[in-house]
Parts: sequence; C-alpha cells; structure tokens
Amino acid sequence: MALETPDFQAYRGVGKPRFANQAELECAKILDYYGVPWEYEPRTFVLERDAEGNALEAFAPDFYLPEQDLFVEITVMKQSLVTRKNRKLRKLRRLHPEIRIKLFYKRDIERLAQRYHLELAS
Amino acid sequence: MLGRVTELGGEIARDYEAAPLLIAPLKASFVFLADLSRRLPIPHELEFVELAGYGGVRPGGHSGIRLLKDLDLSVADRHVLIVEDVVDTGLTLNYLVKTLTLRRPASLSVATLLDRPYRRLVEDLPVRYVGFTIPDELFIGYGFDLDEQLRNLPDIYYLRPPAA
Repeated sequence: MALETPDFQAYRGVGKPRFANQAELECAKILDYYGVPWEYEPRTFVLERDAEGNALEAFAPDFYLPEQDLFVEITVMKQSLVTRKNRKLRKLRRLHPEIRIKLFYKRDIERLAQRYHLELAS
Repeated sequence: MLGRVTELGGEIARDYEAAPLLIAPLKASFVFLADLSRRLPIPHELEFVELAGYGGVRPGGHSGIRLLKDLDLSVADRHVLIVEDVVDTGLTLNYLVKTLTLRRPASLSVATLLDRPYRRLVEDLPVRYVGFTIPDELFIGYGFDLDEQLRNLPDIYYLRPPAA
C-alpha cells in the first residue's frame, strides 16, 4: 500500500519525498510538526570505488536537518540485523569525519512511537 | 531528589541578579517547578505554557505545533528560565526557545530535571542546569505519567518494559 504524502511545511528538499517505510514517514511528520527544516535523502556518499572509479558501495542517509547540520538514518531492522548498516556508518565516518550523523534503531523508533503516540507497523 | 533540586536552586540563585521568570511547560514539569521554586532563595515569578503534543494530531489533520495555553506575563526584557521535566529529542524545547526568543527576553536559559541525550536532534539549546543525566529508559512519578496516572508518586521510578 502506498504511503500518504502530506503537504509538508518544513520540507526543504526538491521534489516530493518517497519514503521507504512508515517509520520514515512518521519521522518526517514529527520533524514537520515541530517546525524543524528537513530534507529527504539529499546526498549519497560513495563508500567504495573500483579501479575505474565506479561506485561499488554508497550510502544515502534518510534525513538531513540543515539547521542542525545533521544527517539522520532510520532503520527498522531488528538489532541483530543491523550489522551491515553499522559497518556502512563506520565507513562513512572514517571517510567523512566532518559529517554529523545519527542512526535511529528500531528501539529508538519504538521509544519515539511511545512518546508521540504513533501507530507504527512493526 | 530534593537534595539535587536544592543544589540547582543554589546554582540558579548564584547566577541571577535580577528576579528570573520561571516558565514551565505543562504538565510533567509542575512537580519539579514547585520544588525548585521553594528551594530558590531569590525573588522570582512563575508562569506556565501548554503545547499541543504531537499525539493530538488526527490522521489527515497534519499541522504544526501550537500553544494551547500562552503566557499571561510579558517576557520582554525579563530573564527567562524555562523549567523542563526532561530534554529528549530537543524538538519541543527548540520550538519553545524559538517562540520565546521572538518576544525579546533579556536572557533565556533552561533548567531540566532530566537529560536523556541519546536521541537528541537539536543540539544548540541553552540548557544551563541539569538535574540528572539518565539512561535510555522510561520513568514515572514526580510529575511523569503513565497514561496520565502515577504523576503523584513522590520520587522517580524506572518503568520496566513488559516481558516479551
């Protein structure tokens, strides 16, 4: 089922965001509600290239908050399955130490859901 | 708990020469505000605001945060101290700080009973006084509720999640 796409007020990106899952949509709605400017997947970081310079591995964090200069990545995978994402994040931090990024795990999303009374599909 | 609140009252009293205006967002901070006020040995005034929580947004009724109860006093040229129960993501506090800053206070700082920094999205907040930095858990009592209940517990208690 297609996710709803509200008219966001604090969205600063180009084009309508196409969220991958309900948790991303809810996070966007929370940021929007509190008036915190946000962009959706505005930048892709190449993590590894082959000998010809072609990208072998890349990472596009879900959100960028320009006023905070902060990237936010949302994952709804179980803690035991986030190893690959953690590895990507470590690689990104090694290649771009100037980047500020936070990873929100399933547990964090569940806590946000409790706090903001969200109904999130598991 | 009261020992730490007394310490915070002493710190605040040392830092303010003019009488600060303490502003507490309802509801959870009201117990902390009441204790802090009684342990703040300098003249000060109290105010309350209430913000519409995100949980109040109905499906299809997407809108922005707003004040349900505004201040009765002006904050212009006043030394304002926001008294928070907990700073978590920083989203609510960020809105309040921005809103009050537009009203041109002489200064604006924040005292929070609890700081839970693990999911902080807004970092540049004027948090000057912190009671306790807490683990990433849920708490009840001392103003913190569980479905509007148990705010009256005299201390703060860790809420154990139900067994999976």
